[in-house]
Amino acid sequence: MSFSVKTEIYEKYTELILEGALDSSTAPLFSEEVKKIIPQNPDTLVLNVEKLDFMSSAGLRVLIFAKQKLGTTATLFLVRPQEQLVETLKMTGLIFSVNIVDNYPE
Amino acid sequence: MKPQLQAHIFDAVPESLEPIRSLITSFGSVQGIDKNKIYKLCLAVDEIASNIINYGYPMAGINDGTINVSIDYNDNKLTIVLEDYAVPFDPLRKLLPTPEDLAKPIEEKSIGGLGILIARQSVDAFNYEFTDGKNRNIFVVDTD
Repeated sequence: MSFSVKTEIYEKYTELILEGALDSSTAPLFSEEVKKIIPQNPDTLVLNVEKLDFMSSAGLRVLIFAKQKLGTTATLFLVRPQEQLVETLKMTGLIFSVNIVDNYPE
Repeated sequence: MKPQLQAHIFDAVPESLEPIRSLITSFGSVQGIDKNKIYKLCLAVDEIASNIINYGYPMAGINDGTINVSIDYNDNKLTIVLEDYAVPFDPLRKLLPTPEDLAKPIEEKSIGGLGILIARQSVDAFNYEFTDGKNRNIFVVDTD
């Protein structure tokens, strides 16, 4: 299981599509991609994580970093996270900082 | 079920994290253990192994360190032991984020401590000991 991240920029939002396993060996790839989009200052960041099979705290730290850099007005959507990922978000309190949706745009 | 015991040695590099998780996942699957329990065990082990790789060995000035992973399945208890020769580090003494910290808005969240919190909360028992110059991190999952 490897990891890939792909960025799609739309007029009203930026979407990152994450697949595979996000651990401390692959989180730098995710982090680089996030750093590339921060200067564009999107109001809405959509993370499509439907095919993300594993995420450790290394991935959570990138989420926190992204939200902190984008500021309080930016909204973070997670599209179709797997149940285990939702559990990790609950355990760390991050569940309150993201919007979980089945599709974006809804 | 017959007791099962396995031991493997991995290089202490980030690229070993996935093979360590695969080892646990395939072992769990052969033994018919619940997938959600196996995921959480992988998560816990991954967090501690990441700390050993990213902090423990670099702080010890060792660049060719190893992590021994042993798996023991006996009496409905799946036990993983990670052993390393990095700097002594007891995750149980690490100050965890408080409920107040966790409830903070993401903008005010501090990034530290999440991994150990996740590791400790994802298994039924977590223990640490330092013996014979080795860190031993012990993870136990009840499967009955």
